Amino acid sequence: MTKQGVEPDDFSQPFWDAANEKRLVIQNCVGCDRLQHPPTNTCRDCDDGGPLEWKQVSGRGTIYNYGVVHDCPVRLLQQDQPFNLAIIMLDDDPGIQMYSHLPGVAVDEVPVGAAVEVIFEPSANGQLVPEWRVIAD
Amino acid sequence: MTVLISFDIDGTLEVGDPPGPLTMDMVRLVRDKDFLIGSCSDRTLSAQRAIWADHDIEVDFVVGKHMLPDVKAQFEADVYLHIGDREDLDRQYALKAGFDFLWPDEAVAHPHFQADS
Amino acid sequence: MTTPTAPDAMYRNDEGLGIWEHRGKVAAVGVGHAPTSRRWDGRPETCVGAITIDALRKAIDDAGVPPDQIDGLVVVPVTTTGAFWEAGKPLPMDVIQSFQQTDDPLDGIAKLSAEWLLANMPELTNVKFTMYGPGCMSNALNVTAQAVGDGLTHTCLVVKSWHNFEGRYYQGGANAGDALPGTPAITQLWGGPASYSTALQFAEYCRKYGKTHDMMAPFMENSRRNGLRFPEGYWAQHRPEELGPEDYLASRWIAKPANLFDNDIPIMMSGAYLFSTAERAQDMKQPPVYILNHASSNTRPRSLVPTLDEVEADTARTGRKIYEGAGITADDLSFENMYDGFSLFHQFHLEGLGYRGIGFGDALDFYQTDISIEGPNPVSPSGGNVGSGRSRVWMHTDCIQQLQGRAGARQVTGVKPEVGVSGGPMPLGGNYTVWSASPD
Repeated sequence: MTKQGVEPDDFSQPFWDAANEKRLVIQNCVGCDRLQHPPTNTCRDCDDGGPLEWKQVSGRGTIYNYGVVHDCPVRLLQQDQPFNLAIIMLDDDPGIQMYSHLPGVAVDEVPVGAAVEVIFEPSANGQLVPEWRVIAD
Repeated sequence: MTVLISFDIDGTLEVGDPPGPLTMDMVRLVRDKDFLIGSCSDRTLSAQRAIWADHDIEVDFVVGKHMLPDVKAQFEADVYLHIGDREDLDRQYALKAGFDFLWPDEAVAHPHFQADS
Repeated sequence: MTTPTAPDAMYRNDEGLGIWEHRGKVAAVGVGHAPTSRRWDGRPETCVGAITIDALRKAIDDAGVPPDQIDGLVVVPVTTTGAFWEAGKPLPMDVIQSFQQTDDPLDGIAKLSAEWLLANMPELTNVKFTMYGPGCMSNALNVTAQAVGDGLTHTCLVVKSWHNFEGRYYQGGANAGDALPGTPAITQLWGGPASYSTALQFAEYCRKYGKTHDMMAPFMENSRRNGLRFPEGYWAQHRPEELGPEDYLASRWIAKPANLFDNDIPIMMSGAYLFSTAERAQDMKQPPVYILNHASSNTRPRSLVPTLDEVEADTARTGRKIYEGAGITADDLSFENMYDGFSLFHQFHLEGLGYRGIGFGDALDFYQTDISIEGPNPVSPSGGNVGSGRSRVWMHTDCIQQLQGRAGARQVTGVKPEVGVSGGPMPLGGNYTVWSASPD
């Protein structure tokens, strides 16, 4: 599946630069040492809102949940319907979730609870995007 | 030659919401040609049946948008054709199911819907 | 006059606030609805501004209040979640020129301001209080109840409207493009439909409690049945189609396990109410329906989608807030009208309320029992969005009409309608109102 391209902005540039280096970074509050995703301008838990940094994480996680998308609003993805859309919980902090199409996993045959690792796939304009694949036993 | 025609309803048939260009008389015309006909719509199955009953048209199938493969499996035909007004919900579903596809305006002008062909 | 957005202090977000200070001292009286339609046909008289004026005038007339006695107006300014005016699309000048326009040419067409409404309702000569309750009618009701209770307004209109344009929800704009800006791309590249998050919560619920999507069928059938008895609603007005188990279960998936009918149908609609003090309401044309409490949730999920644990914790917290401020228990509820658009989260609301004693994991079994308006345990007598189309309003209208005894063919008969609750939208982050036929 080819996702829409990405045009990094100032805020998201570190996330996408890291992806192009095949590293996964997640926003972290230096003040409370807590990850947050999706990223925002301030820490959700600290009264003073931060400061925030981009922190490299292990790239390991588990499949928490999934659905199968049959009617997608994104034009570029419609040709690939139906497709899996899973939620990954990071080993670094299971409260942090990321989306995945789970490349290589048959539609609606998603092994919930299985271990996964991050990979990086090119989007429509070549920007690498974090994805996840099941780790073989 | 056996022809099977699947009609979307909304935006395709005159009784749809919005109304489409294909009249119920056009449907009757292909029915009278012994085509296999039915509807394939996001309307409920019971609502589809009610529409056909209200117009006294006997159909061979009523199915949801995603069920064209079931129609193809159930009926032997030489031509499978779906007529609808949506790129994603009609054309793409139809082509994936191995149906030919016509937009409603194209269908109105198609020989299937001419009395002498 | 510039209309402010309601401050956070007007919402009752926290537990431990005790009985609402204005319990039983604020009342809803008048109800007004404009005719629904599937999409805007482009005419001035059917634009979202015009139908809003229609609904407001009907609410005023229904309450029997002279317009010059109305001193407040609470508006939900956003009139869609997924049908946007495309950038560069020509403005409909004939429509714009049919009204007193504000500086925003799409005011009254793709959004609503209080200023636009007042400019086009010259009979409202005495409105001194205006406020936005953004989001849903549920928010606006909380704001209106609090404003009347606080004395900011005495006789106040509140309105929520929806527009719907040609095309499908969410399919234009960035979703149709070849690239996304970097920040939204972090979460939006994967293409989940609007109901995806709810579908996941439902999937986890089914795994945890051993339930199935098929078990939703009685709820869906009941909701549409009730909606077809709602003459103000879309399905009753335009397509009186039942939604039996075969219809529901044969439907295509949108985001499995959410199917087409688990997603509400977008429509054009407007609903309005007239609120006043309980004292002033005594003299109006309809019986007052008293507000016992309003409660809100500002909880956000930790990350992308709420987990079932987060959902259950927050709906339980919401239930406690609802009861605490109203000074009631679950046993006092005659009926419930919690939100259902998406249908797959209605059970979370029910379980959080402990409606009829059900606990977590019980609701789908409860759906297999008699949940009709004729029975002892009516569920969603309004029929909600499943029954009447996307509005987030029917549930409130139904509470008012049930307690006034004028819900018509929808009137609950298996219980005496004394206290009802309505609100939403999502299990996390909703707003709720407790309604009563009596101020006590």
